[in-house]
Amino acid sequence: MAVFMQSLLSGILIGGVYALIGIGLTLIFGVMRVINFAHGDILMVGMYLTYLAFTSHFGIDPFVSVLITFPLMFLFGGFLQKVFINRVLNAVAQNQILLTIGLGLIMSNTVMLIFTSDYKILSTSYSSSTFQVGGGVSVSVPLLISFLITSVITVALYWFLLKTDTGQAIRATAQDRDAAQLMGINVKRMSIIAFGLGSALAGTAGALISPTYYIFPQVGSVFTLKAFVITVLGGMGSVVGATLGGILIGITESLSAVYISSGWKDVIVFVLFLLVLLFKPSGLMGKSRT
Amino acid sequence: MRKNFLALVATLSFSPCLLAQKIGVINTITGAEAPIGENITNGIKLAEEDLKKKGINLQLVWEDDTGKPQISMSAMEKLATRDNVVGVVGPYTSACSNAVSKLAEKYKVPLLIPAAAKEEITRQGLKYVFRMNAPADKYASSLIDAALSLGKPKSIAFIYENTDFGTSTSKTAKDYVATKGIQVVADQSYPKGAADYRSTLAQIKSKNPDLVFMVSYAGEAILLMRQSREVGLQPQAFLGAGAGFTTADFANERAISENVISCTQWTQDVNWPGAKEFDKRYKAKFGKVPSYHAACAYASMMIMAETAKNSGGDRAKTRDALKAGKWNGVMGEVQFADYDGFNNQNNHQMLVQQIISGNYETILPSRFATKKAVYPFPKWK
Repeated sequence: MAVFMQSLLSGILIGGVYALIGIGLTLIFGVMRVINFAHGDILMVGMYLTYLAFTSHFGIDPFVSVLITFPLMFLFGGFLQKVFINRVLNAVAQNQILLTIGLGLIMSNTVMLIFTSDYKILSTSYSSSTFQVGGGVSVSVPLLISFLITSVITVALYWFLLKTDTGQAIRATAQDRDAAQLMGINVKRMSIIAFGLGSALAGTAGALISPTYYIFPQVGSVFTLKAFVITVLGGMGSVVGATLGGILIGITESLSAVYISSGWKDVIVFVLFLLVLLFKPSGLMGKSRT
Repeated sequence: MRKNFLALVATLSFSPCLLAQKIGVINTITGAEAPIGENITNGIKLAEEDLKKKGINLQLVWEDDTGKPQISMSAMEKLATRDNVVGVVGPYTSACSNAVSKLAEKYKVPLLIPAAAKEEITRQGLKYVFRMNAPADKYASSLIDAALSLGKPKSIAFIYENTDFGTSTSKTAKDYVATKGIQVVADQSYPKGAADYRSTLAQIKSKNPDLVFMVSYAGEAILLMRQSREVGLQPQAFLGAGAGFTTADFANERAISENVISCTQWTQDVNWPGAKEFDKRYKAKFGKVPSYHAACAYASMMIMAETAKNSGGDRAKTRDALKAGKWNGVMGEVQFADYDGFNNQNNHQMLVQQIISGNYETILPSRFATKKAVYPFPKWK
C-alpha cells in the first residue's frame, strides 16, 4: 500500500509539471494552428536562465527565479512569433514544422556553444530533502513546491483566459481566426501574446524541473515528445485537456513503473495514448472541428 | 630524369615517415552522451600531440555519431570507402560500437574500441575488431567480488538503463551473483532520460536488498542517488557500474555520492607507466579531471597510430601487428588476446573505487588501494 501511495503521489506531482509543458504547447496550437517543435528547446532555454540566475553572484533560488524567467521567456516567445512564426502562418504545415524544428536546433546548438555539453546540476539545500506524510510515504520538497507553483500559474491562466478582455480575444482567435479579425481583434497581436505565454509556461516548467533534474543542451527532445503526447491526449488546443493529460501521464508512468516494469513505462504511456485516440480521436477534451 | 621522378614518387608513397597516417575517429561529440565523449576527444588530442613529438605524421578524420548507431554506421562507411583510413578508433557507446564492428569486418578496417562495455562486441569472432577496455562481465564481477570481500550480502537489487550497456552489464551481473548465492530481489530497467525514479526506488526499498547495483550514464546517476536518498533506500552498499558513477560531476555532489562504490578502467593515481603524468597534462590543458574514457582513448590512439605507421599504412598488416603486439602504458599492460570466447580483447585489470571525502579512492585490488573501504553504507543524513 505504501508503495502504491508513494508512486501515486509522485506521479501526480511530476504530472503537474508535465501539465504546464502541455498547456504551453496547446495554447500555441490553439491560437496559431502551428505545431511548435521547438517547445522542448524553449523549456531548455528556461532551464539555462534558471541556471544562470542560480550561479550568478546573486545566487537566485530556482523557484524565485520563475519571477525572472517567466517575463523573459514571454518576451523571447513574442520575439520568435513576431520575427519568424507570423511569416509562415499561412504557409503549408510542412514549412511551419521545418521552421520550428530549425529554431529548436539553433537554440540547442547555440546553448551548447556557450555552455558546452556538460551536464549542469543545480544543488540547492533542499534538492534531495523530503518530509514524511506517514505510512512510509515521503514527499520530495522541491517537487511539492513546483506542484504548488504550477497550480497557481494554471489557475491564474484560466482566470486570464476566461475573465479578461485579452484572454477572451485570445480564445476568440483560437475559435475562428477570420471571424475574430472581422470583429476587430488584432489577431497578429493575439498570436504574439499566445506564443509568448506558451514560451513563458515552457520556460517556467524548465525552471521548476531544474532543482530535481539535470540540464544539458539536448534535454529539450525528451520534453518535446512528452508535450505532444500530453497535448494530443488532452485534445489539441484544450487547456483543461492538457492539464488532465499531464497528470494522467505522470500517474501512468509512475504506476506502470511499479506494477509492470520501469523499462516498459513508455510503452504503457503510448498504448494508453493509442487507445484514447482510437476511441476518442479528438483527444479527451477535444472538440473535433470540421 | 624520369627515373628519378619515379623513384621520388615511390619513396613518397612508400615511406611511412613522410606519408600521413590517416586514422578515423568515431565519437559522440554532440548528443546526450557528449559529456563523456568529450573525454575521449581530449584523450585523442593528447595522443595526437605525443605522436607528433614521436615524428609520426598523423591525419585524423573526425566523425560525430551523436550516440546513434545508424549515424555511427554511415560514419564508418564513409571512413572506410571515401577517406580510406588505415584504422578507426571509436565509437564510444556499446550500441554504436556493436553496430560498427560488423562494418569494420566487412571493409577489413582495423577498429580499436576504447571504452564500450557490451561483451558481444568482441565475441563475434571478428578479426578486425579490437577492444582496449574490459567488457561488462568484468564490471559486474569486480563489483560483486568487492562487496563479498567487504561484507556478507545476501540479496541484490538491479536498476539500469535499458540500453545495450545497461542490459548487458546487469545480465552478466545476474549470472555472476547466481554462482555466489546472492538472491536477486528486484530487477528494474528504465528508459533513458526519465525524470522520476521514486516509484521504482520505493518498490526496491520495500524488498530491503543488501546491495543495490546501478548501471547508468552521467545525468541519471545523480538523479538515482538523489531519489534513493529521498525515498530512504538504505542498502549495505550502492554499487555503480562505470560510466555515470565515475565522473567528476558525480563526485562533486557530495551529499549523495559519498561512499558510493564504483568500478573503473583507470584511476588518476594508479601506478601504470605515464598515468599520473597523463592526469596532470590533461588537467593543465583542458582544466577538467579526466575520466577513464580519456585514458582508454589516449592509449587506443597511441597504439593504433604507431601500429599503422609501422605497418606502412596497410590495413591487413596493421591488423596483424595489433594482434601480435604488446604494449605497456597509461592503461597498464595491453595485449589483444583470445580467451573465454573473446577475440582481440585486452584482458584489462578493473579497479574498484569508492568516493571518500569527495574524491575517488581506489579500494581494490589491494595492491592498487589508496584508502580503506567504508562498509556498510552509513545511514542517510
